[in-house]
Amino acid sequence: MSLQKPIMRGLLAKRLRFHLPIAFALSLIAAAAFKYGVTEPRKQAYADFYKQYDAMKEFNGMKEAGIFESVRPSGE
Amino acid sequence: MFSAVVRLSASGVRSLARTRPCYTAPLASRCYSHGKAETDEEFDARWITYFNKPDIDAWELKKGMNTLIGYDLVPEPKILDSALRACRRLNDLASAIRILEAVKDKSGPHKGIYPYLIQELNPTLKELGISTPEELGMDHV
Repeated sequence: MSLQKPIMRGLLAKRLRFHLPIAFALSLIAAAAFKYGVTEPRKQAYADFYKQYDAMKEFNGMKEAGIFESVRPSGE
Repeated sequence: MFSAVVRLSASGVRSLARTRPCYTAPLASRCYSHGKAETDEEFDARWITYFNKPDIDAWELKKGMNTLIGYDLVPEPKILDSALRACRRLNDLASAIRILEAVKDKSGPHKGIYPYLIQELNPTLKELGISTPEELGMDHV
């Protein structure tokens, strides 16, 4: 029983034709997942933190804690 | 090969109709906007002629095989026949057996190609006294 002639040309092209769109799609999905799963929540967390941030209050808290050299707590 | 990657990745399924003329001859041929693309038969004939050169030298044999292996295809039996005869003229049994190993490797996951090639090349292998890697036990580690 002799063998039929198989397809011998363009095998890589055929494989790429199938796999490359999948690869691109998966890469885009991975990038989108990271953007919306990690970076956007992170940015939102920072935005939320600083929305009600009172710099002077924080500064005075640090000052009273005595961590600065140029300005001492109000007691000294 | 790179041209195949660029063509296929950029357009995917949408441009199947547009790229089809190139797709049927996707080997070393480029998608010229000028001139005709080489047909498969012309490609095969060119390579058969290359290896049929009576006074081909060892360098040309190696160069030819390396170039041929670089294409996105498994060489036709008639090209391999021509190359094996060139090996015979050069008294290079090692290269002859290596050619068989190479085309098996080129088939990749397509297990049907190599048995077909051996089937087609059997008369030549017998005539030239070339053993296959399998017969020599060289097909496994």
